Amino acid sequence: MKRSLVQEFTKGFIDENPIARLVLGLCPALAVTTSLINGIGMGIAATFVLVCSNTIVSMIKGVVPKKIRIPIFIVVIATFVTIVEMVMAGFAPVLYKALGIYVPLIVVNCIILGRAEAFASKNSVGRSILDGLGMGVGFTMILAVIGSIREILGDGKILGFPLFGPDFEPVLIMILPPGAFFVIGILLGIFKWSDLRQEKKKLQSIVH
Amino acid sequence: MSYTIKLAVTLGIVCIIAAFALGGVYEITKGRIAFERERVMKEALQNVLPRAKNIIQTTTPEGKVYFRGFAAEDTSAAPVGYAILAYGKGYSSTIQALVGVEKSGEITGIQILFQQETPGLGAKAEEVLYGETDSWFQRQFKGASGLEVAVDKDGGKIQSITGATITSRAVANSIKSEMEWLKKEGLILSESDRLY
Repeated sequence: MKRSLVQEFTKGFIDENPIARLVLGLCPALAVTTSLINGIGMGIAATFVLVCSNTIVSMIKGVVPKKIRIPIFIVVIATFVTIVEMVMAGFAPVLYKALGIYVPLIVVNCIILGRAEAFASKNSVGRSILDGLGMGVGFTMILAVIGSIREILGDGKILGFPLFGPDFEPVLIMILPPGAFFVIGILLGIFKWSDLRQEKKKLQSIVH
Repeated sequence: MSYTIKLAVTLGIVCIIAAFALGGVYEITKGRIAFERERVMKEALQNVLPRAKNIIQTTTPEGKVYFRGFAAEDTSAAPVGYAILAYGKGYSSTIQALVGVEKSGEITGIQILFQQETPGLGAKAEEVLYGETDSWFQRQFKGASGLEVAVDKDGGKIQSITGATITSRAVANSIKSEMEWLKKEGLILSESDRLY
């Protein structure tokens, strides 16, 4: 059954969310989500690379020999990441300062290679762009959620704006690496739990 | 054999195209990146040497770089202050800070230009509290005597960042050692010199 174009776009939001469902790209999800703005910045940068690499991979899928497709995909992805890095350094220095070392990490972000291999190399350019956009939005959304939770609990702020009085003692561990594992673990748990509930409902409606 | 060559040629062509794309973007952004870098440096210099109108970069014969700040465009008068880059080994990065100092040895300001310390701990060296315009940690250095800069744990007056003594110490000690170099060069005076 082929998906409609709208479904192709929205599947990345929840149904096939990169972090919560595919469990891909955990490295940046753990590393950069110490604040909401970092999460959004990383999400947007990754989305841009994802859309560009999906487009190119889908365009060249006919001429790429199967045996060397992975190195070619990597070259395409690495090229776009370097372009993003240079453009950010020149035109968005504040964002560049915040994301700094994480941008080159997009090269090895498995979502991007994953979508190139699993989707763009088998589908039309249009669908690949939609897939990249949707996956990117899903990735950005989940990074924003993780970033917000960690910033609120670990720093008592949101977007740098203090939420609690001066007496609030932030839960420092939430902003350190273990905090990322806690938040992602709990989010994965919530997704799984809602899955199981829906399945149960479906089964019950069949039985009755 | 011929298939292997075909694979190599295909990969080669892809790489050549990628190289040209990168070269093009590099050429376009090169000027902009250099401009940004210079702007950040200029702003930092102005911040740490607020009295200087004209700041000139100087390189010693040994290759060490520092900056001289003059009160007017005229550079024949004595400089009102000096700025120098201090590199301190922190917890997870080498922290780069620009320090401004007057001839009296009084620090006129510091600005951290680069650090990758732990978010929430050492990275607080650059934290600006809500409603304020500058970093509380870096502000403490203003007015301090350069040669006596030290964190509270080492008997100094700089309050270290909670949970990040290594970072705080790295900044303070790297600044102190640059101040000692400036004194050795005879550019700034120490507390005891000033009495006479």
